[in-house]
Amino acid sequence: MPQLNVIYRQREAAGPLTDLSDYRRAGGYDALRKALTEMDRDEVVYACVRSGLRGRGGAGFPMGRKASVIPKDSALPAYVVCNADESEPGTFKDRELMELNPFQLLEGITIAGYAIGAVRGYIYIRGEYEHQARVLDSAIAQARAAGYLGTAVDGSGFAFDITLYRGAGAYICGEETALLESLEGKRGQPRLKPPFPAVAGLYASPTLINNVETLSALPPILDRGPDWYAEMGTEKSTGTKVFSISGHVMKPGNYEIVMHDTTLRELVYDIAGGFRPGRDFAAAWVGGSSVNVLGPEALDTPLDYEALAAAGSSLGSAGCIVMDDSGSIVRATLRLAHFYRHESCGKCSPCREGTLWLERILQRIVDGEGRMEDLELIESLAGRIGGRVLCALADTGILPIVSAVRRFRDDFVRAIEQGGEPRPEPMMEVPAVG
Amino acid sequence: MADYAPVDLTAEGQVEFELNGRRVTAPAGTMLVDAAFAHGVEVPIFCYEPRLGAPIGACRMCLVEVEGMRGLQTACSTPVQPDMVVRTNSEVAKDGQDGVLEFLLENHPLDCPVCDKGGECPLQDRTFRFGPGTTRFVETKRHFPKPLDLSSLITLDRERCIHCYRCVRFSQDVAEDGDLVMENRGAGQEIGTNTGDQYEGRFTGNIIDLCPVGALTSIPYRFVARPWDITNTPSVCGHDATGTNVELTGREGRIGRVTSRPEPNYDVEEGWLSDLSRFAHTGNDGPGRLRQAVIRDAGRARDVSLEEAVDAAALVLRHGGRTGILLGPTATVEEGFLAQELAATALPGAIVARLGIPGDGLEALRSLPTADLSAIDGADLVVIVGGDPPNQQPIVELRVRKARRNGARIVTLGARPHALEPLGTATRALPGELAGALRGLDLAGAERAVVLWDEADLAAEPDAAAALAEGIAALGARQIELGADVNGAGLRALGIPATGLLEAAHGGGLDVLVTIKADPLAAPGASDWSWALGRLPARIAIESHATALTDSATVALPAATHYETEGVYVAMNGRAQRLRPGAPPPEGAAPGWEILVALLHRLGAPPAERTAAAVFARAAGSRPALAGLDYDAIGVLGAHIGAPAPVWPNGHNGPRAAAGAGLPLVTTTRIFGNADAHRAEGLAGVRTGADLTLNPEEAARIGLSDGGRARVRSPHGETDLPVRVDAAHPAGAAYVATGVPGAGVERLLPADRGPVRVEIGLA
Amino acid sequence: MNAEEIAAYIAPLRPEYAEARSLILPALKFAQTEKGHLTSEDIAAVGEATGFSAAYVESVATFYDRLYLKPVGKRVVSVCITLSCMLRGSDELLEHMCHREGLPHDGGTTEDGEITIQEVQCLGYCDRAPCVQVDAEETQGPVSLEDADRLLDDLRVTPRPERLWR
Repeated sequence: MPQLNVIYRQREAAGPLTDLSDYRRAGGYDALRKALTEMDRDEVVYACVRSGLRGRGGAGFPMGRKASVIPKDSALPAYVVCNADESEPGTFKDRELMELNPFQLLEGITIAGYAIGAVRGYIYIRGEYEHQARVLDSAIAQARAAGYLGTAVDGSGFAFDITLYRGAGAYICGEETALLESLEGKRGQPRLKPPFPAVAGLYASPTLINNVETLSALPPILDRGPDWYAEMGTEKSTGTKVFSISGHVMKPGNYEIVMHDTTLRELVYDIAGGFRPGRDFAAAWVGGSSVNVLGPEALDTPLDYEALAAAGSSLGSAGCIVMDDSGSIVRATLRLAHFYRHESCGKCSPCREGTLWLERILQRIVDGEGRMEDLELIESLAGRIGGRVLCALADTGILPIVSAVRRFRDDFVRAIEQGGEPRPEPMMEVPAVG
Repeated sequence: MADYAPVDLTAEGQVEFELNGRRVTAPAGTMLVDAAFAHGVEVPIFCYEPRLGAPIGACRMCLVEVEGMRGLQTACSTPVQPDMVVRTNSEVAKDGQDGVLEFLLENHPLDCPVCDKGGECPLQDRTFRFGPGTTRFVETKRHFPKPLDLSSLITLDRERCIHCYRCVRFSQDVAEDGDLVMENRGAGQEIGTNTGDQYEGRFTGNIIDLCPVGALTSIPYRFVARPWDITNTPSVCGHDATGTNVELTGREGRIGRVTSRPEPNYDVEEGWLSDLSRFAHTGNDGPGRLRQAVIRDAGRARDVSLEEAVDAAALVLRHGGRTGILLGPTATVEEGFLAQELAATALPGAIVARLGIPGDGLEALRSLPTADLSAIDGADLVVIVGGDPPNQQPIVELRVRKARRNGARIVTLGARPHALEPLGTATRALPGELAGALRGLDLAGAERAVVLWDEADLAAEPDAAAALAEGIAALGARQIELGADVNGAGLRALGIPATGLLEAAHGGGLDVLVTIKADPLAAPGASDWSWALGRLPARIAIESHATALTDSATVALPAATHYETEGVYVAMNGRAQRLRPGAPPPEGAAPGWEILVALLHRLGAPPAERTAAAVFARAAGSRPALAGLDYDAIGVLGAHIGAPAPVWPNGHNGPRAAAGAGLPLVTTTRIFGNADAHRAEGLAGVRTGADLTLNPEEAARIGLSDGGRARVRSPHGETDLPVRVDAAHPAGAAYVATGVPGAGVERLLPADRGPVRVEIGLA
Repeated sequence: MNAEEIAAYIAPLRPEYAEARSLILPALKFAQTEKGHLTSEDIAAVGEATGFSAAYVESVATFYDRLYLKPVGKRVVSVCITLSCMLRGSDELLEHMCHREGLPHDGGTTEDGEITIQEVQCLGYCDRAPCVQVDAEETQGPVSLEDADRLLDDLRVTPRPERLWR
């Protein structure tokens, strides 16, 4: 369970790397220079493929494969879009990266841009991260001034620039096609796929969209070679992964761990400090909230894509929300249903109406007006949403709800039988940060 | 249903696949919903509407099972693939459709008994056929204060809305007005306009047809009828020359509604109607409607039966002397032909003419290959010479916008600023400058060019018409005439000229005038007609609505309107289509062709034909332009009349000289500014009046300001008009809105609508 | 805000986007900094500056939580209530703040128009739960009830920033 600061280079440097000279001193921009001077485009793409790096935003799609399907013969310019709309409940890994190590992201975007022959990169950052956006503004200005962005990147023949685009408060804009719509000045509602963004993305141009953490992994991958990266973890879960952990644990924060090396138990108890005295593990939403909730039986699951899938959940965004036995799974589930209802964009009917309906049912149960048949109704409605909606919001938004009703059925039955679910005492202790 | 795109199962490149256990084919690229529909399998839909552009997959109603694919697929956005195995009615597919309906009904009020859409509502219909029997939703439904009028024509019930996006996509992507939008997010979404604005435009009513529920309904049609006590009849619009196909809803002997046809005419209007086409019928039974035949003798008016009136008219004609017959722009081919028959048999020497533009000099243009309006979509270059299609041939606007979306270059040229100019390069050419401006256009590189040209503007500048004809021929382009008159092309095909009658009347060579749906006192040349008519001893008016003429005619015979008669109209580009009566004419009125047949009988020249179809068949047999046509050949969607033999442009060395002094006059038209719109109660909220529009520079020179009144004088007549000052209109011309009843603008114009100058002063 | 001021703000950004439509969101965010919300005049001005209909601009604006089409307080306090914060007492925090300001338990704007308190979804500061964000300033947390009292007191005495980025 060792921690390794590959993505979080600022921790290795023991201080923020918001000044370009500090980042350079920490080895920054060596990877870009290597790419520009020693590698052609395809070799960079191939390094991405070889590294086994998978998308860190939640879907886990192999990054190299995405980059390799960008058409080279397009009449339209290609773009790199960085998804910095980090809004998945329990997920705050990109925030820390942008705030303390912004150049690694810029360098990663620039490398990706070189790899796919893009003319510009866009960082779509959620509006609430205005503080981080200002750090990035400054970093972009520094990079431009130093020639790391512009008409001749680092003195090469490669012209590339980065634009920071601020969102305005909508979780759905983290969905890649909704993000593109929003970036194009539209309502952030997902598009039908196909066409996939790689073929027709931003302004109908070939577009590579990746998460902040994914793109930030490119400099170390080029620095130390894709094989070094691929050797960490398992065949399908390579490299390191930043886990955000929050909830009832004593030491919430971001922890970068090597894939597969750490179990959920180690993350919760050893790294995040476990629980208050007298409290014990009850449930965890390991990959952000849009995953199946896990109970104590899953504690020994290693943290990687395959193992979490085998345990009936998924790695998702690695935003691990942990609840101890003081919490109420019924209320937690209602709170998540509320989240998805609030964030549904409204475009497709099963999501728009289904998330509303699910929230109403759960609210009734909490309010003491639940009926036993509501539990079957929840399952049935979720079944009519899953696999039938336009995008992943409700497709995965139903997971924590259905899995809670199944895994913690007794809690729901009790709430229905006892006329509601009282609000438990929250954990008011001030946590020790980091 | 218009909801599905037409599929050609005989086209090249068919893909074979399995549909509900059957091996079937469809052209590659066809969406599953359309392919299935073509094979008799209806996959239910709400948001899918191919005329709005690429599918959006929002409602999820069309979920089907495709072997090998995870979950269910939306058939609207899944193209057919070789050997794909599709099940639209398997248990899981049905559960998908059921589920979506359940979600859609979750917040739908189910107030069908009081909803105007009830009985013809896709949601109601599909719930009945595909949906759940009961609801499991026990919570309170979404509530909005209701209803909300989007305009004086359309009302919005937000509770009934199922968020299918059809209406907003129409506004954004078809009409491109951008004024109707979806607001808010998630379950709080609602259709709306910019706060405080109405949704007004030239095409707004289409959103009523598009709405698959009762959220958007017609205010004029509110509570008029229920679907089970109406009849629907396919017909053609009689308010412009485009030949827009419509469906007339008749109820209790009246036209209750005009909508697009469920199966649109993809070559013409593609199912889109202008608001004039849709709502002008609300004037059909208006206060001016003639329901009573009248005979006037020595100034005394006497109500008589229609029979008596026909007898009296025959008497007048038999003894009246030299006769002229004037057909108005909405007269049918049959009426024109029977008028010619009158002159050929019973009234030898009678002059037959139409109210319209003579068109000398347009022969060469008209002989060039023409095209259906659908050809505009696929053009790589669209040139618009003169005119103002958005106001005069509205649906052309939608075709041109579509062409631009498809990548076509749009080039406009003319005197009037209009809504299509911003789509491309616009060249301003004041009267007399068209030919020169045409020569300055660079149209090179186009392979599929379509040239739209305005009948009135090119007739006024025959040198430009000649230059344009040469240009079109050189470009290998097709041409579409932007016709001024509803059935002008049909009457021309019969060989009826636009000249001769007024001249004869002026020269004292006329004793009796028969007008058939013609109001020369409200048409260009009104002053000249007025003077000539005053000298005529007898006038017979066959007319549907009261005019100055019917109020003083010797015999006034109430006629059916185009909503109430059989007949053929030929659209501006030569497409012949059938009118079918959506309701009977009022008691006391009859179709014009029947009145003419009766007159022929009374005058001793009984025609053999007893039906409009037979009359048309004989007309077609005797007029080369109509050769080969009959009602069957025209069918439901129409057929093109024969093209004239090629004519080479002959020497026209310059524009026609404008009579008078002062600024050249440019006539303008506003879609809701004509007699049809002013008669229509439903359009009261949007109709516009007449005015004189001047560039600020001209206004200042004359000493006029916005909102003031001007005295406008031409060699033909004069009138007072309110002044509008607008910098978008260039200096060097006076822009006058025509067609407005009672404004007197037509008095300024010559009968042939040729060039004229006006002097302007303070009123 | 008038169209000229908005146009001047977005003009330098224009070359960064293939289509002018992309400027709508930056223009809306900027227009909002003047009054802290968007009036129909602001919407129309953004339309004019970007070349899109006011209705279209309004439809975009109403999609996003952080664009306000109705007046809000001089300062907007967003209390995150999503799961991690809920487990750490966000509901109690929100209720405490609302009660203190005489507002309904789920938020609103104080009678003097000084402060709007609203519940929001995950702010991405789950490690500092329960967290609170004032306008678009850096999110604070963990916020105890005493911290909240202090924060609200401070807001009333701190001068309003010249531009209200929200």
